[in-house]
Amino acid sequence: MRWAALLIALALALPARAQQPATTPLLTADLSTNQVEITTGFTGASVIVFGATENLIGPQTGEDVVVLAWGPSQATVVRRKVNVLGFWVNGPAATFPEIPGFYAIAATRPVWEVLPEEVRRSARLGLEALPLRAVGAQAPAFRAALLDLKQQDGRWQEYAAPVSVAGGRLFSTRVSFPDTVQTGDYRVEVLLVRDRRIVARQELFLRVDRVGTAAWIANIARTAPLLYGLGCIVLAALAGWLGSVLFRRN
Amino acid sequence: MQVYLPIAEMSVDALLLLGIGFGVGWLSGLFGVGGGFLLTPLLILIGIPSPVAVASGANQTLGASVSGLIAQWRRDNVDLRMGLVLLAGGFVGSALGVQLFAALRRAGQVDVAVSFFYVVVLGTVGMLMVRESVRAIIRRRRTGVSAARTGEHTWLHGLPFKMRFRKSRLYISIVPPLLVGFGIGVLSAVMGVGGGFMLVPAMIYLLGMPTSVVIGTSLFQVVFVSANVTLLQAWQVGSVDIVLTLLLLAGGVAGAQFGASMGTKLRGEETRALLGLLVLSVALGLAWDLIRAPENLFAIGLAR
Repeated sequence: MRWAALLIALALALPARAQQPATTPLLTADLSTNQVEITTGFTGASVIVFGATENLIGPQTGEDVVVLAWGPSQATVVRRKVNVLGFWVNGPAATFPEIPGFYAIAATRPVWEVLPEEVRRSARLGLEALPLRAVGAQAPAFRAALLDLKQQDGRWQEYAAPVSVAGGRLFSTRVSFPDTVQTGDYRVEVLLVRDRRIVARQELFLRVDRVGTAAWIANIARTAPLLYGLGCIVLAALAGWLGSVLFRRN
Repeated sequence: MQVYLPIAEMSVDALLLLGIGFGVGWLSGLFGVGGGFLLTPLLILIGIPSPVAVASGANQTLGASVSGLIAQWRRDNVDLRMGLVLLAGGFVGSALGVQLFAALRRAGQVDVAVSFFYVVVLGTVGMLMVRESVRAIIRRRRTGVSAARTGEHTWLHGLPFKMRFRKSRLYISIVPPLLVGFGIGVLSAVMGVGGGFMLVPAMIYLLGMPTSVVIGTSLFQVVFVSANVTLLQAWQVGSVDIVLTLLLLAGGVAGAQFGASMGTKLRGEETRALLGLLVLSVALGLAWDLIRAPENLFAIGLAR
């Protein structure tokens, strides 16, 4: 049995390698931009991931494209409300120290249809495959609430946008970032799946940054908080005084 | 028109903020209070994180009260000496309050604690104000004159460290004003309010100050205490959003002037009764939020 499996695997792998001369890769992909800028008018942004495959994509050929987007990891706490003397207050909490602040997956077919569980787990494909280890309260309800709330505010997305295919080989999808997106380095992985295996993989990078006034304000507030506080006082007082002059009604 | 708030890290409708600013400013001009007690809950209601709502609320209260203070100063309605005594207590109180706020934030109880503070403080103050002013109105209807409140002797007059407050026509110990200033300083740091709505009744009922100087003097305290809260919140919690503040102020200063010119037409008792009702309704709204079963038992936040 083991020999047979090995032979089949070899038989499948060999033509794949034979079909791959150095000039035509199995998969090639790129992003519409590698920089998302948070300006004063920022209301969220989307980045297009596009590319081409060597073979035809689709159920006939059994080739599928999976696109993953990762944000910087962000320690998150989930709190459960409890009723104390008739009031709802924050009770037990579970902290998830190492979870992506942003996560999106899109694919031509859902990954559970095209990849076995161990591959999904090791490549972290799908929200179910994310290792969500908690410190503190351990009840599974906290994990469920985390999945639920992260999806509600758009920071975790599962098949929110389709991967559309044109001409059998050109694919594209859209990764949408909500207005609450955190700044930092994001990673986009494009995977080519065939015969329940990942046969090609490409990594792309983009940066989310505040620019202009928003960046300037956030930067001062972080690096010189005392100066920023004084500035806020002066600005507010000036605005108030100016208003009393402009709108005076005697 | 959406605008991105750099510290809250979210975008909100600028017109909504201007409108909230105008409405709150109008009421604050009408009643001579900063309006922070309305503003902070409203900001939380539209989805601004509690720490940013509290800190920027204090910052906006500062700006909104400056114009009121200038107006009252011109009319010579500020008892400077009383204001400075209140302020001494207020500085100590607000410094402690910001520490308390930072500790609550670390414990993950800011949202609940802020609501709780609001319910208890606004509920009590609102009830007292409504009861007192309704009594005063009834008394006036019967006798035809406003009741004089000055000249009553209570246990407060037995305390040491007496000082003469000429403009308030008082000769009292500085301990009660110091304590009043301190208490309001703490609350202003935790609730993001200037504290005018508590200060005004405290000055009238506790200290026995004449209504004419109460509003000006309370604005004096409010301006400097909210400046202190702004500074400490920016420094230690890092949650003052100047874009949010300025948008609220732009609406607020316009509203305040309209409110102020209307406020001069109202009698003292009616103003107090209306303010009391307003305070009470905010308290009831927040209490309802604490009591009713939440739609979602769980909430997420950043771990610090």
